[in-house]
Amino acid sequence: MSGDSPRTFPVDEFVKEELYPGYRQAFGSQPFVAGPVRPFSLADNERYWLRDSLHFSEGMVPASIATLDDAQTWGAQLGAEIVGVPPTRGSVNRLAGTHVYLGTIDVDTQWQVQARAARFGTYVSPILADFNAYWTMRAGELTAAYEHFDHLDLTAMSPAELWTTLKDAYAFHRRAWFIHFEVMYVLTANYLAFYALAEEIGLSGAQVSSFLAGEQTFYSRTDEELWRLAGRARELGVDAALLHGSPLDMRARIAALGGGATWLAELDAFLAVYVQRMEETCRIDIPSWVEDPTPALYSIGAFLAKPAGFDFNVARAAAIAERDQQIDEARRAVNGADLARFNAALASNQAANFAWWNEEHNYLIDRRAGIPVRRATLELGARLADAGRVADPTDLFYLFKPELFEVMEADPAVSGSGGGGRWADLAAMVPDRRAYFEYWRERGPSLPTMLGTIPDTVPDPIMIEVFGLSGHFLETLRGDGASGPAAVTEIRGFPAAKGTAEGTARVITTVGDLHLVQPGEILVCGGTTTEWTPAFGIITACVCDTGGSLTHAAIVSREYGIPCVVGTAIATQVVKTGDRIRVDGRAGTVQVLA
Amino acid sequence: MTDPAVISLGDIRGADAARVGPKMARLGQLAADGWRVPDGYAVTAQALDGWLPEAARGELARMFSVAVSGTAELSALAVQARALIDAQPLPSRLADAVAGAHGRLADRTGHGESLRVAVRSSAVSEDGHAASFAGQYETYLGVSGVEEVLLHIRRCWASGFSAPALAYRSRFGGPSPLRVHDLAVGVLELVDARSAGVAFTLDPVTGDRSTLVVEGNWGLGESVVSGHVTPDHWTVDRASGQVLTARTGAKRAWTAYDAAAGRAVLAPLPDELAAQMCLTDEEVRYLCAQAVAIESAAGGVPQDVEWAVARDLPFPDSVFFLQHRPETTWTGGPGGPARPASAAPAPPEPEAEPAFDPVQYALRNVFKVPEK
Repeated sequence: MSGDSPRTFPVDEFVKEELYPGYRQAFGSQPFVAGPVRPFSLADNERYWLRDSLHFSEGMVPASIATLDDAQTWGAQLGAEIVGVPPTRGSVNRLAGTHVYLGTIDVDTQWQVQARAARFGTYVSPILADFNAYWTMRAGELTAAYEHFDHLDLTAMSPAELWTTLKDAYAFHRRAWFIHFEVMYVLTANYLAFYALAEEIGLSGAQVSSFLAGEQTFYSRTDEELWRLAGRARELGVDAALLHGSPLDMRARIAALGGGATWLAELDAFLAVYVQRMEETCRIDIPSWVEDPTPALYSIGAFLAKPAGFDFNVARAAAIAERDQQIDEARRAVNGADLARFNAALASNQAANFAWWNEEHNYLIDRRAGIPVRRATLELGARLADAGRVADPTDLFYLFKPELFEVMEADPAVSGSGGGGRWADLAAMVPDRRAYFEYWRERGPSLPTMLGTIPDTVPDPIMIEVFGLSGHFLETLRGDGASGPAAVTEIRGFPAAKGTAEGTARVITTVGDLHLVQPGEILVCGGTTTEWTPAFGIITACVCDTGGSLTHAAIVSREYGIPCVVGTAIATQVVKTGDRIRVDGRAGTVQVLA
Repeated sequence: MTDPAVISLGDIRGADAARVGPKMARLGQLAADGWRVPDGYAVTAQALDGWLPEAARGELARMFSVAVSGTAELSALAVQARALIDAQPLPSRLADAVAGAHGRLADRTGHGESLRVAVRSSAVSEDGHAASFAGQYETYLGVSGVEEVLLHIRRCWASGFSAPALAYRSRFGGPSPLRVHDLAVGVLELVDARSAGVAFTLDPVTGDRSTLVVEGNWGLGESVVSGHVTPDHWTVDRASGQVLTARTGAKRAWTAYDAAAGRAVLAPLPDELAAQMCLTDEEVRYLCAQAVAIESAAGGVPQDVEWAVARDLPFPDSVFFLQHRPETTWTGGPGGPARPASAAPAPPEPEAEPAFDPVQYALRNVFKVPEK
């Protein structure tokens, strides 16, 4: 508060009318709950915008802007509206070039706050009363949709059937993201109530997520299986082929080895269960594991590089023992009515566990909901390429959804009777758009963490706990221009997982570079998501620019038993790859030693 | 020599709890220690034990010989029991003792016939550490005349048979309804209160002992104690005595003496008072300093202290203390009732209230939605 004037990082250089070369949005046909994805405008200098490198590190192709619309904009806004979150109407996105910035829409009249609060009570209470039944129902709906989409034989479809399937896939994607935010807001409230109660009764709110650790998720099972396959590779003598050489011909090289066939059969058995996942949220332009299992092979190779291996049973047993010990300690520190409230809040959070769901839901929503859209888009693209409408099937990822829908609705059979000239116009723009994406992908790591006016505090608790917009984070960002990151030798952040570690830093700004991480290094990055998880088996500590108690890095570090500091705001600017650094996960500090 | 049936407040000390109940015993001790309390007297539990004529007692025993299951049955039984007790005259020896004490009180206070009193139950087992019986026994405000006082003493005694009191006893223990000798009755001069309420020597919501909380409303304290209004709310730093926060409550009603009704009633609060805080900061600081001293005198156990500021006296002579008791929620230990301490009335079904409602808690403490 003091005398600080608010600091503005101007959005001016990113202000555009077109989202991509040749594309301007027309909003008339696209009603939004609160506001769609847009390019920056000068008015956006008045608000704060956080770079979402956590979910979208490389930028968005045009087709992925539609899935982004469904997810962080429409889904979040509808979720906030229906659940009735009192202080926020959800998140809204702006694009700097192709890169996603995230803002929130505050509810600013008292009447609306009260009306939403009343709605919130009646909506959320029955869900929390039996969360298991509720999530079973929602997960069942999602699973039934995947049963439908995964088993469609797209190549056998008539053009009209295929087009209908793509429309269905988009409709499902949107629905999946409403479910995402509906559940997320419900669980966030439950979690944050526990967090606030802990603070009220003299415990630390930061501890709360560790009370909820140790639950198995689909991804912890995936990682466990990958470690098991690494161990089997050693036993069967195929580990050298996994460690060296390009993943492209890895399969053939393994098959040529004595135990190769056995190991590949086990790999395929694994893939059959675990491959329905994409590498980034909404990025329908990136192959899923079912198409390209390279990320799985990379993970196995990374695990093999760590001689001692990683014992999941030991790690999980340790995580659970640590959790139970912390719960016992907390119970000893409070008494009377406090203890009763603590126990009730803990029980509510064990039954409706955000720390668990935050990982688990990725499998059913974030990393999977876009796969039906991707598959149908690629099949359509293949037919359009055959028909000479586009040069390559993946060209469709460089068309905006309204462009594709306009031309396809006019001529779903792609017979040429309608929209023929339009196809030529669209195809002509693709090379420019590909170049535009590449240009911005390279600029990505140098983009500011925040744009617009950085506030003293942010009212939206989700922005604080998930994205880490704490007072400290904002203060650091406001201040970092004054002394310059070069002068900084100690960074502070949120103490996300306890323990201390000293080691060599590896600064990674995009998940594509994750294979550079060596065993024993300390990972320093903007933030992590599911596809970063394999690295946690080989690193000795983790430091992130963004994040709070509920972020992926915080949760996974506790499961893997390594120290972690998140929400530092500037770690990737201050620390360089090769620096020796010391991470104190209890104090929440990172020191640059040399 | 038999114990006196009626004891003047000036003769009551802390050690008399077994005769007059802890509430009156503490008040007597408070007066003896020099705090300003309203003058009065107590009818002992022993004097009231067995006052009921044999026939009425037999009838009560018969009523309670059947097992009671539902709330409706319990209520019906309670109504019958109270009607029965209401209709019985007090034994003449007891009635005479009350009349004598009342006359002396009227003389001491200088009010004579116009003396108005509060008739309060003071259960011997009430508000101990084990379970708070707060709100289960009744208080009658603005009673005047010996006949009315005698009637309300019987009603206080009968309030041990109210449905909530019966339910509360069966839930948290306590003597069976027929072992009624644990109830004494206090009769105290009614302070002509400009403002009244409660002071807690810890934050009753958080248990934080570095903070004191004062809640109050215009008029008599009943509107605050019964939870009928959202009172004005102050927090005060224990160490410095400074007022940390002051919040004007949504005080739509107050408890005021209604001359026509001959008793205190809950009435709409005049608009010009609703918007004003009912205490000055100086009064708040004084109340807190006194409450801390009372806590000290009570062995350092956190207390809630009922207070009233008299209308026509100069500060600080205007400030009266009406009762104090250990704060049960934060000092009761794991066996205590798991409900947040507040001036709200005890819930009729204490076990039905969850220890923690994440939704309401999130609304107030995370999303910071103000209470309407």
